[in-house]
Parts: sequence; C-alpha cells; structure tokens
Amino acid sequence: MALEHEARIARIVEHAPDTRSLFLGGPRIAFRPGQFISCLLPVGGETLIRPYSIASSPEEDDLEICLNLVPGGLGSPYLLSLPVGAPLRFTGPWGTFVLDRAPEAETVFVAEGTGIAPIRPMLRRALATATRHPLRLLYGAESRERLLYRTELEAMAREHAAFRFAHVPGGQLRDEVARRWVDGDADRSRRFFICGVGAIVPALRDLLRGAGYERRAVQYEKW
Amino acid sequence: MARIRVIFESGEPERVIEFDPARAPFQHDGKPGSILDVLLGHGIHLEHACGGNCACTTCHVIVKAGGTKLSASEDSEEDLLDKAPGLTPTSRLGCQAVVEDPDAELVVVIPRYTINQIVSEHGA
Repeated sequence: MALEHEARIARIVEHAPDTRSLFLGGPRIAFRPGQFISCLLPVGGETLIRPYSIASSPEEDDLEICLNLVPGGLGSPYLLSLPVGAPLRFTGPWGTFVLDRAPEAETVFVAEGTGIAPIRPMLRRALATATRHPLRLLYGAESRERLLYRTELEAMAREHAAFRFAHVPGGQLRDEVARRWVDGDADRSRRFFICGVGAIVPALRDLLRGAGYERRAVQYEKW
Repeated sequence: MARIRVIFESGEPERVIEFDPARAPFQHDGKPGSILDVLLGHGIHLEHACGGNCACTTCHVIVKAGGTKLSASEDSEEDLLDKAPGLTPTSRLGCQAVVEDPDAELVVVIPRYTINQIVSEHGA
C-alpha cells in the first residue's frame, strides 16, 4: 500500500466561482514538476481516489492543487466544500509527466483550463535553467479573463525573453497548434508537453506525431 | 465464467477469481471489466494512484497467460507502459486491459514495485 500523508488546508484561493486552488500545509514532500498527488476522499461511506496535479513548485512550502467543479462528479464537490483547516489525506507524488531539467530543444507547453496546473511548475523549472531554447505556452480557455495564473504568466513573459505565451479561445487549440507547429514550418525538433481534460489531449498527440514529431517528443497527460 | 489467477511478487498467497465479464463494472475505478475493476471488485488491492484514468503506471501487471483475451492496448496505455519499471513484453495497465472473453483464463502477476514515490535528484 502506498504511503499516506495527512495535510491540512492552509489556504484557499478562488480563481472563479467554480475554480479554486487549495494549498495543503503539513508534510513537505519531494516531487518533480508535473507530478500529481492522489487524494483520498471520504465520500458516501467509501474512499474515493482522485488525482490532482501539483500546481506549485517543489521549492514552495505548501502543495497547491487547482481544481474546478466537475458537474455530476463526486470528488470535486467534496474538495470544494472543505474549509481552511480541514484535513486531507493523500498519497504521492505520482506520475511520469515531468520536466525537471534544462530543455534541449524548443519546448512547447499546451494547456487547456486547469491543465495549466502541472505545466506551471514545469515552466518555472525550465525558466530557472536559463535555457537558450525558446519556451512557448499555448493556453486554451474560454476567455483571457479565465486564464489561471494570468498575471504570473504575463510577468514571466516580460522577464524572460525566451518565453512567450498566447491565449487561445476554447475549441480552437487544435487548429492553432496545427497552424503554428505543423503547417507553419518543417522543423520537427520541438518537444511538447500537453495537459488538459478529455479528447483534446489525444487529438493533439495524434496531430503532432502524425505530422512527424518523435513519439517521445510529445508528452501528455489527459485528465 | 472467466477466471483470473493472481500471483503476487510480494509473496502473498495466490488468489483465483471467477467472474462473469458481462456483470462489469464491479466497482468504480478503471475501465469497466478491466483487470483493475475485477480485482478491486473481488477484494484484491491493486494500486491505482490516478484513479484508474490511464495517467500513471501504478496498476502495471504482467499477463503471463490469456493476453489475447484482453482488449488491445491503445497509444495512451503504451506511452505510459514505456515508463513502467520492470516492463515486460506482456505488461499491461490493469485499468485499461479489459477482459472481453466470457471464458477467458488469465494468469496475472502483480509486480513488487511500481513507480511511486520515486524522485530524482533533480527534485528538490
């Protein structure tokens, strides 16, 4: 059985009425940017296992998870109902969707909605390596106002010449990825890290691999 | 009835499960009728840190016999299996491999190790 940790909710930040970050205080665990924890939620007389990407960096004290309300779901309503101080059990870190060293080629991050969560610490780590390779973030969300961590991302883009990010309205991610990195040129040396919910993730994977990018150059996590 | 003989590398005693695949799901994690679903529904613990959503390798199993009675693996499963410790040619993710044949006879090994709290030196 996996080792369990018990944390307490130290802080809650509301990004939007249905989207929050929970900061978990207590055990400080070592993890790699991009990994997730597996929350053990007492719901309906049983323990639900719900994975959440870690949105904070390994260097920070509290673990941050960022989630939105999943209509009809069981885990997210429970988590979003917890007040500051509530206990939360979890296992981890888990997962192999990670970036923790200097990129060796132009690196493109593609996020949709809360899929930015694992990409945020990856991006921070990549920038911290002072890489000479360009870093790009394409972030799909309904509107620019719905971008999570928008102020931080804008500041990163100002401070790091190597980094640029663009917002893509919902539903247009695939076309924009195709326009920029499939039809745009013949360079196939880029690395991709893709995270989002549902069918868009394998759709992007298949688009890029089908266009000639190496299988292992296209890393992804589908929630 | 389908049958799974479960062998634990940890040394726990073997278990044999008999079940009707048509009655799946047996619980709520993993694909309905998957090895994970069947094992959990019959009281056998198999780690599944991502909740059975094909996002980790903790439910890695080695199918010693009966692999052709399982659903074919998809790219998402293969991509993750590449990263599983102790990968073998007959490795599958328990959450994705669905028992499709009502008379399947499977032998499944639960490895001792999964990728769990493995953190490289780069992780602070």
